[in-house]
Amino acid sequence: MALAIELIGITKRFPGVVANDHVELKVEEGEIHAICGENGAGKSTLMKVLYWMLQADEGTMNVFGQEVRFASPTEAIGAGIGMVHQHFMLADQLTVLENVILGAEPVHALGLIDFDEAKDHLKKVAESYGLFIDPDDLVEELEVGERQRVEIIKVLYRGAKILILDEPTAVLVPQEVEELFRNMRDLKKDGATILFIDHKLDEVLAIADTITVLRQGQSVATVKPDQVTAQDLAELMVGSELPTPETTESTVRDEVALEVSGLTVIDQDERVIVDDVSFRVRRGEVLGIAGVEGNGQTELIEAVIGTSPAARGIVTLNGADVTRATVRHRREQGIGYIPQDRHREGLLLPAPLWENAALGHQTQQPFSKGIWMDRQGARQRTEDIRREFDVRTPDVDVPAHALSGGNQQKLIVGREMMAEPSVLLAAHPTRGIDVGAQAAVWEDIKAARRAGMATLLVSADLDELIGLSDTIVVMLRGRIVATLDPATVTPRDLGAFMTGATSAGAA
Amino acid sequence: MKRLSELPAWLRWSLYAAGGVLLLTVVQTLEGTDRLTSVTSAQSMLRWAIPILLAGLGGLYSERAGVVNIGLEGMMILGTWFGAWGAITYGAWWGIVAGIIGGALGGLLHAVATVTFGVDHIISGVAVNILAPGITRFLSSEILTNIPGGSITQSPRVPGVGSATIPFLAGGTIGNWTTPDLFGWLGTREWFFISDFANLLKGVMTRVSWVTLIAVLLVPLTAWLLWRTRFGLRLRICGERPEAGEAQGIDVYRYKYIGVVISGALAGMAGAFIASPELSGIYLEGQTTGRGFIGLAALIFGNWRPIGVLGGALLFGYPFGIGLRDLDGSASHGLILVNAIGLAAVAIWAFTRSKRTDTVLALALSGIFALWYFTTDVVPDVWINILPFVIVLLVLIFFAQRLRPPAADGLRYRKGQT
Ligand SMILES: Nc1ncnc2c1ncn2[C@@H]1O[C@H](COP(=O)(O)OP(=O)(O)OP(=O)(O)O)[C@@H](O)[C@H]1O
Ligand SMILES: [Mg+2]
Repeated sequence: MALAIELIGITKRFPGVVANDHVELKVEEGEIHAICGENGAGKSTLMKVLYWMLQADEGTMNVFGQEVRFASPTEAIGAGIGMVHQHFMLADQLTVLENVILGAEPVHALGLIDFDEAKDHLKKVAESYGLFIDPDDLVEELEVGERQRVEIIKVLYRGAKILILDEPTAVLVPQEVEELFRNMRDLKKDGATILFIDHKLDEVLAIADTITVLRQGQSVATVKPDQVTAQDLAELMVGSELPTPETTESTVRDEVALEVSGLTVIDQDERVIVDDVSFRVRRGEVLGIAGVEGNGQTELIEAVIGTSPAARGIVTLNGADVTRATVRHRREQGIGYIPQDRHREGLLLPAPLWENAALGHQTQQPFSKGIWMDRQGARQRTEDIRREFDVRTPDVDVPAHALSGGNQQKLIVGREMMAEPSVLLAAHPTRGIDVGAQAAVWEDIKAARRAGMATLLVSADLDELIGLSDTIVVMLRGRIVATLDPATVTPRDLGAFMTGATSAGAA
Repeated sequence: MKRLSELPAWLRWSLYAAGGVLLLTVVQTLEGTDRLTSVTSAQSMLRWAIPILLAGLGGLYSERAGVVNIGLEGMMILGTWFGAWGAITYGAWWGIVAGIIGGALGGLLHAVATVTFGVDHIISGVAVNILAPGITRFLSSEILTNIPGGSITQSPRVPGVGSATIPFLAGGTIGNWTTPDLFGWLGTREWFFISDFANLLKGVMTRVSWVTLIAVLLVPLTAWLLWRTRFGLRLRICGERPEAGEAQGIDVYRYKYIGVVISGALAGMAGAFIASPELSGIYLEGQTTGRGFIGLAALIFGNWRPIGVLGGALLFGYPFGIGLRDLDGSASHGLILVNAIGLAAVAIWAFTRSKRTDTVLALALSGIFALWYFTTDVVPDVWINILPFVIVLLVLIFFAQRLRPPAADGLRYRKGQT
């Protein structure tokens, strides 16, 4: 079969890092080709090089047998390459249609956009792949799975024959992953070539035709999924064993650390987003919240940390009512917070790592000295986070955007865990983190839990949810619709509760 | 309230305007004056509104491209000088062109600093505001002092571009024929509210400068350009999510440059208008008196949309226009009552939405204005000039809460950092 893409000796350097080191990659036409590797292995960089968002320092690239040299993504798009980025590239306040046609607008005279033509074309593309979406919706109103659909439509709209998907499943719940995979198989049937990145090895084995493994910027192996197990892959990637989260014996104590009662959150348009939710988390307990994104979990967590106001209800932290307290006060009382969107709420991308490590803790030790920032202390702490949480970076003065997605996540997790919170609010704590580091984060949460930390855990990864939680509640349309025991529930049952296929009370 | 927000923008804004006029009419009746809704009040409102509108639209282009432009004031100052100089040397229309170019140069400076060098937008904007008066002072000393009647702080008389009255509605002429004057007729009927409204409409249609006409036409033109064209979509992505534009191969820097330069050009046009006989008829140092900033206020009030900016410009232009002709302080006295009633309405509205702080604040302020109104007969001189600014401030406090600025507005953007 003919090669869709051939990369020969691709090298890309950043200050202090060789992100891609003479990478060799052969992708056949019409296959689904997975790229695996630990955080910072250079996967995203390689994909950006392929899409010409980054220019390689060395090496050559052939597309459909022809050597190419482009000046910008525009030309790569012209050659039939499209990319869905690890972090979504969508403007929230624009419509789906506007986001999709951007850069490829059909126009009349005077540059007037032909919206009718655009809409027709979008609908045609979307329908032929079963990707349903209303072109006039604002992107901000969409759920994560829908946003991803928009991203994929965006690529198909331009007639891409080679699709690059950078960690498309990281933000999806299992049902959505299945749907995505169905779409990918349809695309493949139509002759598209798909390159994708994924940290969940069972998913990779289920869908890929070929797998290339990157380690520290080098391509170390290319294998077929029927020749390897997930275990083998993990060893190729990180040289370590594949971990599974398993429940340890309960460490739940009696004292209630976090209590929420009758909490209701109403949004700008006066819709009820969180509807009369009550629960308690005791010291040493992990309360897992399951749900398809957009059912109020995010807003619930935001109301507990205080970034969005509660319309009704009471939040009690270690016995004190903090419903009206500022975010800073709650932080100082020992709430740790791993937000769901690391770019939006977790980091200041242009700021150095040590400043990022102080975010949310800037008034506390070791980041402050009286009214001043303690730079020395902050740097020291950042070094500690870097060591303990294995954040791959040349030093702590690089800006946060220079870290790979998974390493950014590790920095945030490290920042919150090192502060030894009494209550941890964790939304998708291991999102985008590779298998090896994921195990380390789980171990850390378990250790803190033994020491008495109460955790409110939201996760799309049902294995993680079941493996870590002492109790699981399911949220649907803003309400808690079920309380389940992780020891007895299966991911399948959980999925049924999440979509509302199974209702009824407890297990 | 909910249904109101679902109406099309032009209709909604017309209803707001009608509500405002009704309030003015009521107050006017209580106060026993006719100055609040007279034809001349509307005329001076419009004259004051135009520079605010142009500056606000300027801010719109810049901020939609993601660059906060607090340098509008400085660019406007450049516009006043270049406008006056151009008009005196080459004629009225060339003055407008020169003002536009002068402002655009200021915009270019801001673009170089913020886009190419990644300077903080506020710092660069402040720098432009500080630099502009220095530049005009220097240019005056080099050029204006050599023109008869000019000095280091002012120019000789500046010629204007002329004006027209709208036919049929306000009795303008076509050729030699004086057309009927519908609003003029309605205005003299003394019908409650209807006559007042007609007077105001006649005012904004009588002896309208050509520049004013162009400025007003820029509102639909801008809406069309930014929301209907490819150029507009690409410019807006730079203000919403520049990385998304970059990923689709759009040259974000270029669109930011264009946005900021247009911004400066419009601010410059505003400056040229201020120096023209419509408002001053002379270049005078310091004559912009913060109108660039009020343009920004109109932009915020208008929620970063062209028609909203027009609404804001008229709203803010009104008290300034009233203050301008209010020699004895009685019209401003009426404005105080307008404030008291307006704030009371805000308090009721805030109460129904259970916004406690707003309710209390609006009620307290309303009380203060009411007390002021009932204990005095006229507004003292100093307050006539301060009152309009107070109104701008109040409007922003209570109406700038549910706004949607462009998501990446004011953020530093560097290529290849995603
Ligand atoms: N813009 C940049 N400036 C400097 N260094 C960078 C930049 N982008 C990436 N790097 C570095 O290049 C290396 C590879 O990063 P890359 O994003 O390709 O990793 P990745 O394999 O996608 O990891 P992850 O699974 O965490 O997303 C990392 O060490 C990262 O710090
Ligand atoms: Mg990556």
